[in-house]
Amino acid sequence: MKKLLKHISPLAPDDSGVCAVLYEMGGITVICDAGGCAGNVCGFDEPRWFKKRSALFSAGLRDMDAILGRDELLVKKLKTMTEQVEGRFIAIVGTPVPAVIATDMKALERMSEKQTGLACLAFRTDGTKLYDHGEQMAYHRLFGHFAEKKLPVKKGRLGVIGATPLNTGETDSRAMREVLKEKGWEDVVFFGLDSGADDVINASECERLLVISPSGLKAAELLNERFATPFEVGFPFAPSFDISGKKVLVVHQQFAANAVREKLSDCDVTVASWFMMDKRYMQERDVRITQEEEFSDLCENGGYDVIIADSFFRRAAGNFEGRWIDLPHFAAGGRLND
Amino acid sequence: MVDAYYITAKQLAKLSCETLPEELTSAKHMIYSSPATLDFNSPGAKGFGVKRAGLAIPGSVMLLIAPGCCGRNTQLLNALGYSERFFYLMLDDTDIVTGRYVSKIPKACEELLGELAQKPSVIMLCVTCVDALLGTDMERVCRACEQRTGVKAAPAYMYALTREKRLPPMGLVRKSVYSLLEPQQRYSRECNILGFFSALDDGCEIYDLLSQAGIKKVREIGRCKTFEEYSGMSRANFSIVLNSEARAAAQDMQQRLGIPFIELTRMFRLDKIANQYRLLGQAIGAELDDTEYYEKTKEQIESFKKKHGSLTFAVGESLNADSFELALALIGWGFKVNEIYGTVGERNFVFVKKLAQLSPDTRIYSNLSPTMMNYVPSEDTDAAVGADAVYYHKDKPGADFNGEEQPFGYRGVAMLFEQLDKAIDERRSAR
Repeated sequence: MKKLLKHISPLAPDDSGVCAVLYEMGGITVICDAGGCAGNVCGFDEPRWFKKRSALFSAGLRDMDAILGRDELLVKKLKTMTEQVEGRFIAIVGTPVPAVIATDMKALERMSEKQTGLACLAFRTDGTKLYDHGEQMAYHRLFGHFAEKKLPVKKGRLGVIGATPLNTGETDSRAMREVLKEKGWEDVVFFGLDSGADDVINASECERLLVISPSGLKAAELLNERFATPFEVGFPFAPSFDISGKKVLVVHQQFAANAVREKLSDCDVTVASWFMMDKRYMQERDVRITQEEEFSDLCENGGYDVIIADSFFRRAAGNFEGRWIDLPHFAAGGRLND
Repeated sequence: MVDAYYITAKQLAKLSCETLPEELTSAKHMIYSSPATLDFNSPGAKGFGVKRAGLAIPGSVMLLIAPGCCGRNTQLLNALGYSERFFYLMLDDTDIVTGRYVSKIPKACEELLGELAQKPSVIMLCVTCVDALLGTDMERVCRACEQRTGVKAAPAYMYALTREKRLPPMGLVRKSVYSLLEPQQRYSRECNILGFFSALDDGCEIYDLLSQAGIKKVREIGRCKTFEEYSGMSRANFSIVLNSEARAAAQDMQQRLGIPFIELTRMFRLDKIANQYRLLGQAIGAELDDTEYYEKTKEQIESFKKKHGSLTFAVGESLNADSFELALALIGWGFKVNEIYGTVGERNFVFVKKLAQLSPDTRIYSNLSPTMMNYVPSEDTDAAVGADAVYYHKDKPGADFNGEEQPFGYRGVAMLFEQLDKAIDERRSAR
């Protein structure tokens, strides 16, 4: 049966993706929910919650707020909060509740801007889509709104888009910075990870952009169009595996999985992802997985000797009898890199 | 930026439940995700939220019918061995607007049964804010699932939107988990303890006191290993309710099964514990002799005080106690309480009034207030009680006091001091 998960639990949702991108941007993020969605973000999908402070709140909606559509009350609470907590902008993140009652997020955005005097970005997420969808929206709107000014390019400055814990399994940029340093990049900004809104505003200073997840592509294209900043895609942080002459299935976000493929010599490799896959970076047999059954079928009948994927997916692999190599993906198994 | 909001016990006692400051009223402000809020908002993450609680019936499985975001943190329960008991019917954006998924639920139940080696005792159908807003008739859905599969189905309402209603989700789920009990012959020497999903600590004196009164069998859902043991709960002569969230379930059992109930409160003041046992004895027609437990606990407190001195505590609410009642108990034993992070309501305002007399300068914070983001831990705290208080006072010794074994009565007090003693000793030896 479609949409029935029998062996795995749900993957990181779109609202978590928006929150991950905005987490270190210095804004006030309000999840428009009754509490459970904010609890899921802060208590599970956002591993930085107990390490780095962020103004991330729940709107604390109650049934009558939803039934009566009390947007004014929400804006009033927002205004009060801007007097208590510092924030450079406001972000309102949608959940199933505003989706069911058809909240006009655009109107909410305008009302909030008018009442608080701060820029407001409202995101029409509803918790039914996946985190990459939310990340894509957040990156695109963030750069679209704040990266307006063309500044002189700083030679040797690299901007990385897509560096969220959900994509990378890292809660800070140290390890990834080291990798890029070895490749000759001394001045690197990981947008949204150990960096804030100023770096987004000054994005045009970057000599080049590196997009490490498909969720960052749309924003990179925007910056390319606006400032002619060149971009490339890749994931230079992927681990290597000592395998050769095997038929291999690699499962992760597309760019990380592609990077693993590039490091596998003499293997017949298929990349699969539960998340968005850009056709430009797909090979002929690469697969976008949308259902648990599809994944089981791929593992059982794909003829693979090795599967490299988060061990979280193991239960859904049916009777796959080959070798399983664990490749953690936080948006799936909720585990950080060691 | 403003400092974290607080009000002293003396100031608060001058107000009433109806005139609480906005900062102490969750509906009036945005909600900060403090550790206590996470327990409150996302209890699936730790302890018993609706999802885990719904699986308290032995042999049960759960179908969560929701958008992905509602089931995401269920992964935390996998580590506790629940992975094979959870199934998910994922809703898309059209589903949540049209409600078209409702007709697919019986088929989903049928299909999940194919994955199980044994027939489950019940399929719990867990629904969320989406169904609260769509007004889904879950009784009808459960009947349709039963007809299609031949397995009992019961609803678990994870309606976060209705958290402050008269019957909140944690009350409703308790009613659901006892709803499968069927009338049978009752036995005068058997009783139930209702209120928690895990059992009371094995050393709790209530078992001995009930035995003194001639009770031969005490059942708790947390101790039931099989559906047969669970079914035995309807043999009870009476139930003891230790948590008001189980009141609706007890009322339902009284109405359907004829089992009356007695309500007790988890308290930490020794005189109140003694008084409750006296009243329990009167209610069941027996004299309960708790002298030995009273004296032993009193000695333990004295010995702790002698060892560690008159400490000043910060008391949180992410713990197995009422923050305000526990604070009163600590003050009564000669300690100081400088800060409480708690939720004030009708239930505990009476404790605030008493606190104002004994410790008027105690500062009361709301864990839910956005200003708690700016909280700076006070220097005058020696130790913390409660996971949230421990989080706020990372550099001080503290006991989470929120474990699965439920504290109650004198044993509850003993558990508190055992955990505090251990935490303080560990911190000292680490220096």
